[in-house]
Amino acid sequence: MAKGRELKGRIKSFENTRKITRTMEMVATSKMKRAQDRVVAARPYAAALREVIASLYDPELATQFPLLRQPTTVRRAAVISLTSNRGLAGAFNANLIREARTLIDRLESEGTAVDLYAVGRKGVGYFRYVGRPMTGTRTDLTDRPTAQDAADLVDAAVKGFAAGTLDAVYVVYARFQSAISTPPTTDRILPVQPPARDGGSAAAGPGRRHDYILVPSAESILESLLPAYVRNAVYRALVETAAGEQGARRTAMKNATDNANDVINGLRRQYNRARQAQITQEIAEIVGGAAALSG
Amino acid sequence: MKTSIISPERVLFEGDVRAVVAPAFDGEVGILPRHAPMVTLLGTGVLRLDAMDGGTRRFNVAGGFLQVADDVIRIVTESATPVA
Repeated sequence: MAKGRELKGRIKSFENTRKITRTMEMVATSKMKRAQDRVVAARPYAAALREVIASLYDPELATQFPLLRQPTTVRRAAVISLTSNRGLAGAFNANLIREARTLIDRLESEGTAVDLYAVGRKGVGYFRYVGRPMTGTRTDLTDRPTAQDAADLVDAAVKGFAAGTLDAVYVVYARFQSAISTPPTTDRILPVQPPARDGGSAAAGPGRRHDYILVPSAESILESLLPAYVRNAVYRALVETAAGEQGARRTAMKNATDNANDVINGLRRQYNRARQAQITQEIAEIVGGAAALSG
Repeated sequence: MKTSIISPERVLFEGDVRAVVAPAFDGEVGILPRHAPMVTLLGTGVLRLDAMDGGTRRFNVAGGFLQVADDVIRIVTESATPVA
């Protein structure tokens, strides 16, 4: 039974692996649910901000605000590349890194200098490996990014843009479309694209058909809300990437578990066949021996 | 008055109140029913809600704005934490 014992050992080993992947799948599922709740919980704020900015925004005011400045030539841009801190999430990080690389290559081919801000151990590790200089790195963000994290991340870029040293700021993140679809996405967060005035679907808040008393003034309110809008775009990217990471990990671990099942089934079949062959052979030997004696 | 307090992370409060006292950028502003439509910037300080049952709730807020119209109040702030 030499072969049988070896097969037994391999089955055992695959079963142990399956135990781990199944656990990781379940952990990722529950973490994803919570991350998803955070994505949803962040929506009212984004909607309220968008609505008020849209109602206050006036193209004539645009020239007054540094954050709405539309540079004709982009000499220097910042790219904020989000990745996760942990692996075993399938192609999740590879996709995000590829998206960031494509963007950087495109910008550089257009003659734009690129300041790269890498967030997440995976991205930082990759860019360090290929020797790409990074202006800033962050690897301390948790599964639960906060609005403060987003502010810390983007405030330097906002200042740079307002001062004119940066002409554009991009963020590369995983959009959380659904648990199984988290495509890498590039959004330009600066210059701010003012949200369009929509037809009045914003049922959540007070109606907009009012003549608001604006204290201190439309300009001052807009001036203080635009940076908040940019910060919120980054916050949204952070929570969506966090949720997407768990979704991608869940899918990867589910595939690994299914694969382990297939392998174990195959090995079990082989094992049973070997066992049966051995029994048949033993019987044949006994029968043969008995026949030789009685013959 | 229907009031909600919204931070980037979540909606902290949603419900009916009798009065709101908010830390506007230039001092406190009080909102009672039938207030004129208004949008004002907020500063840093304590926001007070007087509930229908006579109790009060307080939140530390910083930045953002308060919007009121048709007895619906929205406090949209960059950071809000309930005062214990």
